[in-house]
Amino acid sequence: MSFVQLMAWLEGSALGHVMRDNGVWFYGIINLTHILGVATLFGSVVILDLRLLGLWSDAPLAAISRPTTRMATAGFGIAAVSGAGLLATKATEYVGNPFLYIKIPAIGLALLNVFLVHRSSAWRAHKNRDLTYAERRRLAAMGGTSLFFWLTSIGAGRMIGYW
Amino acid sequence: MRLNTIVLTAAISIASTIPAFAHHGWGGNVDEVTAMTGMVTEGVKLAGPHGTMKIMTSDGKVWEITLAPPPRTASAGLKQDTIPVGAMVTVHGQRNRDPNRYEMKTIQVEYAGRHYNVYPEFADKVR
Repeated sequence: MSFVQLMAWLEGSALGHVMRDNGVWFYGIINLTHILGVATLFGSVVILDLRLLGLWSDAPLAAISRPTTRMATAGFGIAAVSGAGLLATKATEYVGNPFLYIKIPAIGLALLNVFLVHRSSAWRAHKNRDLTYAERRRLAAMGGTSLFFWLTSIGAGRMIGYW
Repeated sequence: MRLNTIVLTAAISIASTIPAFAHHGWGGNVDEVTAMTGMVTEGVKLAGPHGTMKIMTSDGKVWEITLAPPPRTASAGLKQDTIPVGAMVTVHGQRNRDPNRYEMKTIQVEYAGRHYNVYPEFADKVR
């Protein structure tokens, strides 16, 4: 299945119909939901990543990581579902939009980074003990990577409508 | 060059490219307001960020007619069932800056003697 076919399938899907058949305000409300999801996701991610990069080092990492990862997960879920709806409305119109082709891989790489953080020994250790310098360095690098890919996906996502 | 200067220069150069983008705002469209008459090939759709329809002009070109956001288009009286496919309409608006893109950001749609001003604040630009 090519990308064009995938977009045609998405546009014709039940989600696409729901997006188009529910009145003139529906798209705007889903757009608002998407922004709230992104704000929750990035608002949480930026706190955690800056902490991993060394800010607020007097606050225990475990105390920051627990609420931020939970809120980021919730925000991502909201943003992903509403975002699929926004795209499905007229999915084929976005074929060839370069910002979409930046955004989707950037989200993929950000999620890959989440996976790598969570399976790292440093991340698993931080809930039970103080981290060594090398472990903090490793987490800081992944925190910076996280910021880069989330900012890229948000930046590209915002620009989709301006193409 | 200091880092601040580099960042500032980058920010200004990124910001200055934004008016070139279409869809949001009028930056991607020419300033001149023109009119064209054609046959509706795809009726008004009030879904997504903007209302849309498609018309075919006498030279066989199919134009994408970008209307106001769905709530504004509807409140101008232009609903999804107002104009049937196959009807002749005249649209007044600003075409895409890219001459190879047959897209017009529309101020007024004229159909069966009625004028639907989807952007009433720009209606005085329509001659």
